[in-house]
Amino acid sequence: MPDTTSLDHPAQRAFNPYTENGGTILAIAGADFSVIAGDTRQSEGYSIQTRYAPKVFQLTDRAVLAVNGFAADGNMFVKKVKQRLEWYRHAHSKDMPLRAIARLIQTMLYGRRFFPYYVYNILGGIEEDGTGAVYSFDPVGSYEREACRAAGAAQSLVQPFLDNQIYFKNQRPAHNTSHPVHLPLATVLSIVIDSFTGATERHIEVGDGLEIYVVLAKGRGLHGLEGVRGVQELTATDDGERVFVVRRELKKD
Amino acid sequence: METSFALTGKGYVIIAADTTAARSIVKMKVDEDKIKELSSHLLMSYSGEPGDTIQFAEYVERNIRLYQIRNLYPLRPAAAAAWIRRSLAESLRSRHPYSVNLLLGGYDIADHKPNLYWIDYLGTVVELPFAAHGYGSYFALSLLDRYHNPEASLEEGLATLKRCIEEVAKRLIVSPDRFKVKVVDKDGTREVEL
Amino acid sequence: MNSLIQRYAGSSAASQQRRNVSTVDDDDEFSDAMWGSEAGFGSLAKGVPSFMVPSVPDPAAFLRLHTDDHADPSCKIKIQHGTTTLAFRFQGGVIVAVDSRATAGSYVASGTVKKVIEINPYLLGTMAGGAADCQYWETYLGMHCRLHELRNRERISVSAASKYLSNLVYSYKGMGLSMGTMICGWDKTGPALFYVDSDGTRLKGDLFSVGSGSTFAYGVLDQGYRWDLTDEEAQELGRRSIYAAGHRDAFSGNTCNLYHVKEHGWDFIGNYDITTLHYDGPGNVSGSPGHGYGYEIRVEGQTSANPPEVVAQA
Repeated sequence: MPDTTSLDHPAQRAFNPYTENGGTILAIAGADFSVIAGDTRQSEGYSIQTRYAPKVFQLTDRAVLAVNGFAADGNMFVKKVKQRLEWYRHAHSKDMPLRAIARLIQTMLYGRRFFPYYVYNILGGIEEDGTGAVYSFDPVGSYEREACRAAGAAQSLVQPFLDNQIYFKNQRPAHNTSHPVHLPLATVLSIVIDSFTGATERHIEVGDGLEIYVVLAKGRGLHGLEGVRGVQELTATDDGERVFVVRRELKKD
Repeated sequence: METSFALTGKGYVIIAADTTAARSIVKMKVDEDKIKELSSHLLMSYSGEPGDTIQFAEYVERNIRLYQIRNLYPLRPAAAAAWIRRSLAESLRSRHPYSVNLLLGGYDIADHKPNLYWIDYLGTVVELPFAAHGYGSYFALSLLDRYHNPEASLEEGLATLKRCIEEVAKRLIVSPDRFKVKVVDKDGTREVEL
Repeated sequence: MNSLIQRYAGSSAASQQRRNVSTVDDDDEFSDAMWGSEAGFGSLAKGVPSFMVPSVPDPAAFLRLHTDDHADPSCKIKIQHGTTTLAFRFQGGVIVAVDSRATAGSYVASGTVKKVIEINPYLLGTMAGGAADCQYWETYLGMHCRLHELRNRERISVSAASKYLSNLVYSYKGMGLSMGTMICGWDKTGPALFYVDSDGTRLKGDLFSVGSGSTFAYGVLDQGYRWDLTDEEAQELGRRSIYAAGHRDAFSGNTCNLYHVKEHGWDFIGNYDITTLHYDGPGNVSGSPGHGYGYEIRVEGQTSANPPEVVAQA
């Protein structure tokens, strides 16, 4: 029996320029460093499009941006942020401070309030006062500085784990001790890796590869990074903040 | 909109229900009694689908009475709540379920405790120190969290009820203008004027 | 700075809003100002913000289709919702209290949201509805309040500031903005409070609560409110009302942020964990009841049972 409904009523197709490409990102701020990570799987529905599509991008020597959601929007958005930062560099002969980048991202996202970028952004880096910072955004630009944030497909798996391990939520310190306010870099790195191996086990859209960006405050030693397998330095200038990336494999099934 | 409140105090339960019977946008009646005296120490307020409410309330009333005639003693509040819940649960699974929400307040003369049960048309029962149905609950529940006192005298209990009614009158757009208030305690059930 | 003033001088922003909704193509029209930080407020290069809109017959319907998680929980772009905010005027100023929960569907997206927006040292705005809408437009309002100061050599009145915001969002009516905000401050007229929402409503008043938990907050607030409350009593009432909403409304909770606007501007009073308020109360602050706000905690050990004396003796 032929479908006659389309003959009776001319059907109007909804304009749908969005899709969801899976994956998860997270960022954690330390006292004088910031860690921003994301997996590299890109998928649509149950199909994996690629096992290596970066979601974390170095903006400056003190700022790293992770984008998650609709990959095409995300890539375009990062491109535009980078362009604006380059213009700033030409006008002012310096890199834009982190909190200014955060506000820039807000206004850029909000400029698309009526045709949003379907992206969840997490910005990590070092503030002008040398502290590690994480800013998280919703798709239309509301943002807040936080100490840690997970976003994307496995947000609901990873965030409770971070709440427990970073904020010590629902934990009571042992007698006569207290929870540390800031965790050391080595601890943070292992929490990040555990978050992603865990998310890979339990979420089908997470896996393949892991990229962890580490931003170190000016003058801070490497402590916590030395001896880490596969570290690569990405810093463009000397005598400032330093950026590193750690690449790891995740399960590929 | 229909609203009912109930709260317990030292040895009593107060139940208050608005007195409007509405059909569409019309007030058909402004002095309807929506609180039934099911037995000497049991009160029940009912609200919901017009027709269902009265039919179901009368069905409950008669069956509670029948139990008393057959056994020469009345059902205790907890038992009455269980029986009413089951009736609603069975009704829900029938072709024409009653959509009736109830507040059942009783004084248990055996253990001298006031009991209040919040019952909805799905057959959910919760025993509570205070309860409400309808839009009024959105204003009254936080108020009762703040002001309810399980050891309050009847006067204090009525004053707290008055707060609820005044709050609803102040904030709810289509607030009922009159409430009927009944009390059950060791001496039985009776209507009180606020 | 002069060029900045010139750019805004004499422009009635609201009347220009409509025209500054661009379609897809001219998104890349940047003015020279975009090269540096001069433009500051991103999409403001042309003096008033401009927004890109999809080239479909009904842009608002497009936006709704993709972002309205109430109508369709599976929609992709989840804008943060769910809130309790309140503010009231009294003898000692204005109390502003809010919760800190943001929800996307039934997921608690954040428990640390700052729902009080510090527009400037003497103006506060609250956030209910779309988080980005409130943050962006209240920041924008802050810029214009500053420009008002520069042009007129005096601070803007709360009434004028709220009217500015109201006109602004009204010019976008039907486009899908969602905000319910209270603009609070102290000006020549004394403590002032206005409710402004994205429908275009603007109300002057003594007491407002906005958000999904507002009814629960009103229940406590109305009963405890008097004009001649002391500062401590008023702060306690604000805190207690947000607790009530956090306790009864699933979309509100986590923590309570409390502000007090006085003649010299606003003071941040504190951040209170709602679970802690439930069990232990606000701690060692004046106005505290000295125990947890929770019903079960408050009535612990009390009973409604009323056994007759004789039974008690036997």
